[in-house]
Amino acid sequence: MFEVITPGLETTIQDYPGRIGFWNQGFPPSGPMDSWSFRLGNLLVGNDAGAAGLEAQYIGPTVKFQRDGVIAVTGADMQAKLDGQPLPMWESVAVKAGQTLAMTASKVGARGYIAFAGGIDTPPWLGSRSTFHQAGVGGMEGHALKKGQVIPVAKAKGTPGKKAKPDCRPVISTDKSWTIEVVPGPNDDWIDEAGHKRFLSTDWKLSAKNARTGFRLDGPDWTFTEKATKKAPENGSEPSNIIDQGYPMGAINLSGQTPIILVNDGPSMGGFINPYTVPSATFWKLGQSKPGDIYRFKSVTVDEAQALRKKLNAVCSPSSII
Amino acid sequence: MAEKVETMVPGNVWKVLVNPGDKVSAGDTLFILEVMKTEVPHMAGEGGTVKAVHIKEGQEGVDAGLVAVEIG
Repeated sequence: MFEVITPGLETTIQDYPGRIGFWNQGFPPSGPMDSWSFRLGNLLVGNDAGAAGLEAQYIGPTVKFQRDGVIAVTGADMQAKLDGQPLPMWESVAVKAGQTLAMTASKVGARGYIAFAGGIDTPPWLGSRSTFHQAGVGGMEGHALKKGQVIPVAKAKGTPGKKAKPDCRPVISTDKSWTIEVVPGPNDDWIDEAGHKRFLSTDWKLSAKNARTGFRLDGPDWTFTEKATKKAPENGSEPSNIIDQGYPMGAINLSGQTPIILVNDGPSMGGFINPYTVPSATFWKLGQSKPGDIYRFKSVTVDEAQALRKKLNAVCSPSSII
Repeated sequence: MAEKVETMVPGNVWKVLVNPGDKVSAGDTLFILEVMKTEVPHMAGEGGTVKAVHIKEGQEGVDAGLVAVEIG
């Protein structure tokens, strides 16, 4: 158990893969945006890779432990300190009752993770402890952590001194630029050839209007095929309007002329086209990027996207821990 | 004692609450950034007079770690 001294900017309880199986009823999976860092954190403290832990965004929390335990801090570097001493990242560390873990603003990356041996033990909702604050479900009372809350952690031993192999950790960009894989579709045939070329050759800038719902991108206007411009009126008046349809997770959703990548807490359906989709294995890059960062998109096939996912799952395994 | 208040997060400048010459006390909110549709207030660590303000209301895409307000 630990007490929230300061909650950070928006720190939530998440588990992996999150709330799966309710997309058709509008419930997104939620879960950690950088599941790579999150899963390694759990493996470091001896948990299953998906056990519930904390995701801190931009500014980390300060928490006080009420019981001895083992923790691991991964993901963005929020300069974690234990009772004032720098705490090593990507390593399991023993903590004592009464000690305080303090984190500050992230210098590299956007989302930091704290794993606790045993896992956070709040009540699951629809099979997951992940917070989905827009519906007020999961996590701690359905929302981000608040000052003074006491968060339950299941009892488990955990071994301090375990480390994630350096070549098995995600490399968070320090030069603001990212290559983001995309699979064409489902509505790629609504965009003309010039539009596709422009999308794949533009430096897209991540706006400050990004959150766990969607990542808004700034860049040039799109151009369309006749599918978008000569369609039945029930599709809507804008070229990017379409009769309401289901959205894939990771959809690059074209709202008018503004692309928004729909992420972990995003909507399941709507009336805009999705010319491209970011595969799940690439989500960690979105989770660690900041406003002003530059995305360059790289088109991959479904097979290549699945190979990336298999590779990531293989890295998020006990073999990466020494 | 001089203090340089840096931006804690990257984002947009939502509000700037002080001007050069203003007297501020420790804990006063100097400016508010917006990231993830969340307001992030930035406070003075110590009291003094505002010497310089390096950000503007409405400014978009400021970096983290930028010196925004100098207090002397």
